[in-house]
Amino acid sequence: MTADLELPAWSEPFAAANREALARLPPIGQLDRAWAWGGADGSGVRVAIVDSGVERTHPAVGSCLVESVRVEPEGDEARVIADPDGVDVVGHGTACAAIIHALAPAAELVSVRVLGPENRGKGVVFAAGLEWAIEQGASVVNLSLSSKSQALYSLFHELADAAYFANVLLVSAANNVPGPSYPSLFSSVVSVAAHDVADPWTYFYNPRPPVEFGAFGLDVPVAWKDGGRMVATGNSFAAPHIAGIAALIRSKHPGVTPFEVKAILAATANDPRAG
Amino acid sequence: MSGDDTTVSMTDPDEAAAALLRAVALRAEAARRILGEPLEALLRSVVEATVALFGAEAASIALFDPDADRLVFRVAAGEQGQGVVGRAIPIDQGVAGYAFTTGQAIALADVAHDPRFAGGLAASTGYVPRSLLAVPLIDGDQSIGVLEVLDKHEAPTFSLRDVELAGVFARQAAVAINATRIERDTRSLLATVLVGLGGETGGRAGAEAAAAELAATATADLDRGDDTHLWALAERVARLRRADPEQLDLLTELLDVLVRRTEAGDRRTRRREGGRRRSQPAPTVDD
Repeated sequence: MTADLELPAWSEPFAAANREALARLPPIGQLDRAWAWGGADGSGVRVAIVDSGVERTHPAVGSCLVESVRVEPEGDEARVIADPDGVDVVGHGTACAAIIHALAPAAELVSVRVLGPENRGKGVVFAAGLEWAIEQGASVVNLSLSSKSQALYSLFHELADAAYFANVLLVSAANNVPGPSYPSLFSSVVSVAAHDVADPWTYFYNPRPPVEFGAFGLDVPVAWKDGGRMVATGNSFAAPHIAGIAALIRSKHPGVTPFEVKAILAATANDPRAG
Repeated sequence: MSGDDTTVSMTDPDEAAAALLRAVALRAEAARRILGEPLEALLRSVVEATVALFGAEAASIALFDPDADRLVFRVAAGEQGQGVVGRAIPIDQGVAGYAFTTGQAIALADVAHDPRFAGGLAASTGYVPRSLLAVPLIDGDQSIGVLEVLDKHEAPTFSLRDVELAGVFARQAAVAINATRIERDTRSLLATVLVGLGGETGGRAGAEAAAAELAATATADLDRGDDTHLWALAERVARLRRADPEQLDLLTELLDVLVRRTEAGDRRTRRREGGRRRSQPAPTVDD
């Protein structure tokens, strides 16, 4: 019935029946997970979450939210203002923060709220939030959203380059709606789709870009707004798993660049032929 | 209402502008008849197809209403889904709001166990789903609404494949929905022109009424006598939507020939009847 549809199917390469085709890179030196992040807890690393906000008091966020801002449109521009209350208008940003916190419990979290009653998820607001996170020197930025605005292509391209050159790792969820989306399809970001193995530590490397990593994203138990919990599915819940592991790598090896983090992630990915 | 003695409730813009407006109204009416399927019927067919495709309990579509700054649920399929129709929600809240504003598809499960859902919109509609899938309706780079799917019959949650399939399906639906809005947008454009001309003193609502009246005036003549043939032709053109491009090219060429012949005939008639009136040369920028 769906054979003639061109599904984006970003998760397809990570499905059990297809993993065989995920050829492994030859091992880079003797990299393994023990070397990559063994003993690390995220100390010294700051992770920005550009999303719907993070609920500061949610138990699953564990008092790790050190700063909270929101972005408001101002004419054609946007400005970043303090949002000390730590509000999440949906629950989604809190879900992402809690996933990262569970993997890297000592990492500091920064919430950049780009959704809200006043800004309607506009691309320029999202871009301004991303720019702020890069300027603040976050080690890792989790982007579970992306923009489909063709008009903002070059702006997001500039921001992705700016992040790369500033040693900021962007981890971006692939968008499931057909058509381009930015910055999730840019080469310098770590683009992530969901797989169906119920384990936050299982991730796969796909040598065929643009979506190079698959992480846990099906029926994920997540934190949600008002101190609640939910079971959620989507690429936007896969991205923070990779963001959390990247935070551990940067915590243990502060000198590694975004390019090297990507290589370490690829080298330490699960064997697609196992289990 | 007869065509000739109808006056449009606006102070007279000049005759040329009125003729132009009538021509636009005529095209809007032709588009409406050729497209045939009104928006609601299209939306209903999308949600019904969604329910069948996913084997779901219910599906609904909410479209963005820029005037109200809300997502308004327009149609639903499935007995359990009907309670949501007509409800409006803020665009930045809930799963539907998230899908709309971020362009990301997400699915949630165990929703019924969540007190916020149990006490929120879902509960007030009389049906709290176990699981739901929300995908944005995106045409080009513009999000126009959200498609929601509730409770698959054969699984407690939605799969990754479901999420991706819904993304593709929603995009095709969004393209169709936008195409169907052409007629309404043309009518809306007419109203804007009327306001812009400064002749409509009844505000936007008055201008919209005047636009509707203008369309009725422009098309009233066409529904009488011999011109019903034109609309029979329009019906046939509507059925040609699935014709292949070569057939359509051929048809377009044939129609061009006919149009030229008709216009040439009109000019000959005017010359014969025109008396003192000089024949019209082709329009130039100086006219």
